[in-house]
Amino acid sequence: MEVSSATSAGEWDDTKNRQNNEQTRQRTDETTNTMTLSSHHLPIDASVDRQATRTSSKAAQPYWNPYLAGIGLGLVLLAAFVIMGRGLGASGAFSSLVATGVSAVAPDHARSNSYFSEYIGDGTQHPLKDWLVFEVLGVFAGGFISGALAHRVRKGVEKGPNISVAGRMGFAFAGGVIMGIGAKLARGCTSGQALTGGALLGVGSWAFMLAVFAGAYATAYFVRRQWQ
Amino acid sequence: MNAPFFKFGYFNDDISLVVAFVIGIGFGFFLERAGFGGARKLAAQFYLNDLTVFKVMFTAIVTAMVGVFYLSVLGVVDLTLVYVSPTYLVPQTVGGFVLGIGFVIGGYCPGTSCVAVSTGKLDGMVYLLGILAGIFIFGEAFDLVEEFYWSTDLGTLTIPQLLNLPYGLVVFAVVLMALGGFMAAEWAEKKFGPRGIWRSKP
Amino acid sequence: MKSILSSLTVNRMLFMLAVVLGILALVAGDPYVGSSVTMNGRELALMVERGADHVAARELADWIIQGKNDYRLLDLRDETAYTEYHIPTAEHVTLATLEKYPVARNEKIVLYSEDGVHASQAWFLLKARRYPGVYILRGGLEEWKEQVLFPAISSSASPEDRELFERAKSVAAFFGGAPRTDGETTTTPALTMPKLETPVPLSAPTSGAKKKKKEGC
Repeated sequence: MEVSSATSAGEWDDTKNRQNNEQTRQRTDETTNTMTLSSHHLPIDASVDRQATRTSSKAAQPYWNPYLAGIGLGLVLLAAFVIMGRGLGASGAFSSLVATGVSAVAPDHARSNSYFSEYIGDGTQHPLKDWLVFEVLGVFAGGFISGALAHRVRKGVEKGPNISVAGRMGFAFAGGVIMGIGAKLARGCTSGQALTGGALLGVGSWAFMLAVFAGAYATAYFVRRQWQ
Repeated sequence: MNAPFFKFGYFNDDISLVVAFVIGIGFGFFLERAGFGGARKLAAQFYLNDLTVFKVMFTAIVTAMVGVFYLSVLGVVDLTLVYVSPTYLVPQTVGGFVLGIGFVIGGYCPGTSCVAVSTGKLDGMVYLLGILAGIFIFGEAFDLVEEFYWSTDLGTLTIPQLLNLPYGLVVFAVVLMALGGFMAAEWAEKKFGPRGIWRSKP
Repeated sequence: MKSILSSLTVNRMLFMLAVVLGILALVAGDPYVGSSVTMNGRELALMVERGADHVAARELADWIIQGKNDYRLLDLRDETAYTEYHIPTAEHVTLATLEKYPVARNEKIVLYSEDGVHASQAWFLLKARRYPGVYILRGGLEEWKEQVLFPAISSSASPEDRELFERAKSVAAFFGGAPRTDGETTTTPALTMPKLETPVPLSAPTSGAKKKKKEGC
């Protein structure tokens, strides 16, 4: 961070310098935190610059016992059943978002598209004023709360040591596209179909679940470079 | 007391959005607690190094299934008013297979990618953009797949209805299956152990 | 016992809990029916006493005219009576078929029969199955005829009553009835039951405009 050179003496310059200094200090703190945290628990993560000198006082806490986390998740799902009479979801919110975007750019096109028009509705209500959209906003918040409490929030890229950051990003994007198409074809994702439908013993949801594991195991070998 | 509360009109649509946000917080919280904010943990499932995904998912399914079963038997919840998504067998199976491929390539599913983004994973963010692109492609190409999308419509069909078995028996069988699966998972983790990058647990 | 419990790991305890709940599920019953029926007699009695279990004929007429569709109207008379005449929007169901009839618990249900006896019995059956929003059309079809189809007014009525009567006349016309002159009863042959034509609601359905059906993920 470059501090602007004082061209004339006076109060104004002083203030500006002080502000600049403050900004510099803040920025250093942020980067140091990010660096030290990630150097702590992601030793093989090549994407993170590791020039940090200060050691962090907060190490990431270990994850919960998977069965306890699962019970927690199950109780949240149960709460959704009891309070709302419906289950959880995620991909539906993204559909609303995409439909809203298409509608904003090309309203006539969105209305004539039989898939997007369903998410836009009859115009009496904004398409983003939707249960799933608010639920997914909560997911972002809840993930952040849990991550922050356990000191696990840090900037980084999740990948194995044998792949570049750009390569991993490419895989991530491609995987996302395939996931988006699959989720829409299956009318839901892991949360809406597998968890919700699974708990309600829906036939389609159980077929879906088995197919997800089949698809993933069938493909795992070919993309192992990403992780191993 | 009549549940589901929303279906009995105990609160209106606007309040339901607040409920949605709070439930979402719980959902995201436990996903992160389980370690699902990171793609390596999720992908590990498919290399049999760390079966957390299986354990968490099936514990959640069993918990909610058993919970909603007993609450219905006790007469607290009216199960007919809990929305069960209808079965379109073939498109759902094909979609699930495609989704599984996307899962292992990208390392997340839609819900977990949200948690990844909010805990700072850049790949999660790229993945999320990918999902939006995928949905856009699907929407634009919907005319081509529409017939397939609506095929094999079996309506709202549950396993007890399909097999003509008592609901409680199916609950019992699923619990047994899950417990068997958990024991197998513990055994597999001990046997194969964490390999490669999974040896150093975050 | 305590030492055994404390020696177990969390996972073992959860395992055993799951086994117990799984086995109990075998004998717990059918969740879709809800095997335990609890009735609160006092609560039901108080409800009846307060009149909270009733809908007046004129109120129901207003709902139909406004095109409301947030209720289900069930006709409990026999088949021939139903085909001869029924209140618009009514569905035919008998006491015997009521148990299997597809009405959801969160719906507002209005019951009627000729004089109200069958309706009250159906009301009790539904209440026993924990349907919260069940109502009886007060006075049954008899009162519907007297107040809605063939309203009457006495010659000594006050101006306010006459004003109300004007409105009742238009309501009667909507349902194909006609106002009575003094002294006539609803059984007078001159007053024939209106032909069954579904009247067109004056306004478009307001509540419950079909929501987009995407409750899933």
